[in-house]
Amino acid sequence: MNLLQYLPGNSILHRLNPVAKLAAAFLLGICAIVSQSVIFTTLLIVLLLGICFACGLGKRALGLTRNLLVLGGMMFILQLFFVRSGDPMLSAGGFTLITQDGLSSAVLLGLRIIATMLPLMLLFAITEMNDLCGALVKRLHVPYRYAFIVTTAFRFVPLFTAEFHDIEDAQKARGVEYDGGLIKKLKLSVPLFVPLLMSSLKKVDSGAMSAQLRGFNLRTVSSGYREYPFTAADIGCILLSVLMIAAAAMI
Amino acid sequence: MIRFQDFSFRYQSGKTEQPAEFALKDISMEIREGEFVGITGTSGAGKSTLTYSISGLIPHHFAGDFYGSVEVNGMDTVEVHPEQLARFVGQVFQDIDSQMVSSVVEDEILFGMENFQIPRDEIKRRLESVLEMLEITPLRRRQISSLSGGQKQKVAIASILALQPDIILLDEPTGELDPESTIMIYEILRRLNREFHKTVIVVEQKIMVLCAYVSRLIVLDKGQVMFDGSSDSITGEIELFKSLGINVPRVVELGHLLKKAGLYDGEIPTELDGAEKMVREVCADAEI
Repeated sequence: MNLLQYLPGNSILHRLNPVAKLAAAFLLGICAIVSQSVIFTTLLIVLLLGICFACGLGKRALGLTRNLLVLGGMMFILQLFFVRSGDPMLSAGGFTLITQDGLSSAVLLGLRIIATMLPLMLLFAITEMNDLCGALVKRLHVPYRYAFIVTTAFRFVPLFTAEFHDIEDAQKARGVEYDGGLIKKLKLSVPLFVPLLMSSLKKVDSGAMSAQLRGFNLRTVSSGYREYPFTAADIGCILLSVLMIAAAAMI
Repeated sequence: MIRFQDFSFRYQSGKTEQPAEFALKDISMEIREGEFVGITGTSGAGKSTLTYSISGLIPHHFAGDFYGSVEVNGMDTVEVHPEQLARFVGQVFQDIDSQMVSSVVEDEILFGMENFQIPRDEIKRRLESVLEMLEITPLRRRQISSLSGGQKQKVAIASILALQPDIILLDEPTGELDPESTIMIYEILRRLNREFHKTVIVVEQKIMVLCAYVSRLIVLDKGQVMFDGSSDSITGEIELFKSLGINVPRVVELGHLLKKAGLYDGEIPTELDGAEKMVREVCADAEI
């Protein structure tokens, strides 16, 4: 599954102003960081998943959560064994392995990673990059050049992933066996980065030429065809996110 | 009108490398308004370089040694930036995927028009017009990544046509297309040339297709123009084409062989319809 791929739809989330979506994703991320409560952070994740299911994005959200669980799990293990403060919970040979603070902060960190990343990942699932670029220029007056570069970089990620898989398939067809451990796969993948880099640079150059020949540098703030007005739903979405931060800080 | 005058170009090479060969050498020719020109040649012949020099990417994007001059609609390409030339020249590159700057069909077509600050009403009119002309209205909100090669090619052409350039350059537009889609693209180009009086310049390896559609054929080899004439006149240049490693259409080759064998003395056809007539004539004479 491509985590940065846009999923077309007509849900209320899809229809929100891209700037409001970006702000909400950012604010909810802050909310997850501010929260010191395991229960609140868990409820935040459940709420986010609930909204996704209501908007027909349940499958994608579950997929994202599953991927984030791996990252959260790794952080959980690190935190569990590195936090030394608090009452000992598990000792071996007179050496404390796990403490109470270590366990609670590990659980919180694991959940926090999921709660922070989930809104950002969802932003990509419900926002067309061109709309985000247009809205950043029209509403926040970000210079078009910078907005275009950032959104194009995100748009290129799936293209480069596909290119990488093509190169990998070409290698497989020539007898390279990628089956085996992670280290073996990494070792075999390193030489692929050279052709990937070359073809990526070529693609980027071709894209730049194409943009240049269609007047890229002539664009101004007012020249966008679409307008991105703020509606009550957009303001409500941002306010709700701010309220969530306040609630996280208080609990 | 495009005018090349003693034009030569050599790409910049690395500091430690030997100077590169000239990609184009001593090109002097004119391409007039409303012509449908096909450019062919083997790999490295300078076909793409020729298109870059018309759109102004040479010398503004590709650095190198530039000699002579290239004028497009009276403007020297050295003095005018490609973005200014883009009002007159639209180019579709060989690699369709990498030239797409948007994810959605409509956004891709809007991109150039927004950049050129075309008024909103005019953008709307042109958008609908090109979608209709290329029969891609149902694809309007589709993700470009979900389209077939032929559909992507149409979107790329639409995004250029929306800017209403006088000259349309296409670099191997059918390289990844099946025969049916190839014909479809060339029918569109023929329509643009005949109905909308656009100057169309196509770089193509499929010489059979070129002969069927273009009015003028230019053959490049090692950066030089080796043949410049009507597509019908290739029938007298078979040996030249063979020496350049370019396959002439099979029907032309057949006609040439029949003529050589003394079985046919008419005009050698370049298209299938003419070939059928030729074969019938030969069969009738031989009473087969």
